[in-house]
Amino acid sequence: MEEASAPRSNEPDARERILRAATELIASDGIDEVRIARVANRARASTALVHHYFSTREELLAQALLQSFELAADERFAAGPAAAPSATEGLAIAIEECLPTAGEGEREWVLWVELWLRAAREPELRPVAGRMYESYREWIARVIRRGVESGEFREVDPDEVADLAMALFDGLGVRALIRDPAMSLDSARRMAAERLGAELGVDSASLADTDDSNRS
Amino acid sequence: MSPRPQIDHVRRPQILAAAAEVIAERGLAKTRIADVAERAETSSPAVLYWFGTKSKLLTAALHEDERQFDELVAERLESLDSPSAKLRAVFEICAEDANWTLWLELWTRSLHDEPMRDAERQVEGRWRALLTEVIEEGRSMGEFATDSPENAALALGAMIDGLAVQVTIEDPAVTRERMLAICLSSAETLLHADLSARPALKAAS
Repeated sequence: MEEASAPRSNEPDARERILRAATELIASDGIDEVRIARVANRARASTALVHHYFSTREELLAQALLQSFELAADERFAAGPAAAPSATEGLAIAIEECLPTAGEGEREWVLWVELWLRAAREPELRPVAGRMYESYREWIARVIRRGVESGEFREVDPDEVADLAMALFDGLGVRALIRDPAMSLDSARRMAAERLGAELGVDSASLADTDDSNRS
Repeated sequence: MSPRPQIDHVRRPQILAAAAEVIAERGLAKTRIADVAERAETSSPAVLYWFGTKSKLLTAALHEDERQFDELVAERLESLDSPSAKLRAVFEICAEDANWTLWLELWTRSLHDEPMRDAERQVEGRWRALLTEVIEEGRSMGEFATDSPENAALALGAMIDGLAVQVTIEDPAVTRERMLAICLSSAETLLHADLSARPALKAAS
């Protein structure tokens, strides 16, 4: 608690640190267990400084969730699938990016599930969650549209298949995340590839490495 | 003579219904036993007598929710003899009834809490068994083609969950109608089935 109770000009990152600390605590303990004092402690800030930036605990948590998704979205949506040499490879990257892969992917997924719960309970968060789904949908639909236009995929409604893809990623991903014995990350990957492959008329093997023995 | 004659058995379902409502509204962390008691028009000791802790109250509320869902499904499926019609009815019920708030609570709790994870697995296991049964029946009657009814049930269950999350958080792009349309269309592809998709599949926006 070495910080002053007001932002210092030499601490431009305090807000960042606080948000980061909050997302880390949400991921490790669950959103309901996050206390301002612990966030402050982890961010090396005072509780007063936390309150300076975020008037309520709810606002802090909402901002932390939002920021973590915006960062994730910027990083991956821009780079991965759009830069892939073909729509099929782009979709394969999307499948991989959207499932709770070990490490960072899993941590983000915990936050994603917390956001669902938050938005289910708090109507004022729904437009925010809706916007995230909108850019998510647009991102997936773009990959699919590209494949339809290039003839890699059969003629489908890209928005409709994007909705199915997101539902599959969310539904399969949450099961892998909570360690459902029937749904390993590999099974989730394989099922997403099989379902989307069938809808788009492409071999599921080109959408995911479905041969477990090839997996490193 | 019961040691607690003042707590009659009629109260239990009321408490569960009240618990489901209050937890969905406020979340388990902010739900107080007293709130549930008030909603159920009973006393806190009565709630504690039946359920002991908030966690137990949540799992009991979910089991009750599941029981009602099963009852509804059984009722609707009883009059149907074709597995295609049954599967369609299951999708219709899920789309109509899509409020997954308690499930979301259970999922997030499952990440940090072992007993919750067990409860989640039990409920999920029964739901998956129900889907598998309909798919198996469809396969044996020649209406569906699939190598593995279990895997098909897993894939359909996951899709339903994913869509229901978006309906629950009121994503404007995924209405109940669109959820149903996507379920029907995707299951037709997956199972090589004719679910006589109605309403006609079209984009919601």
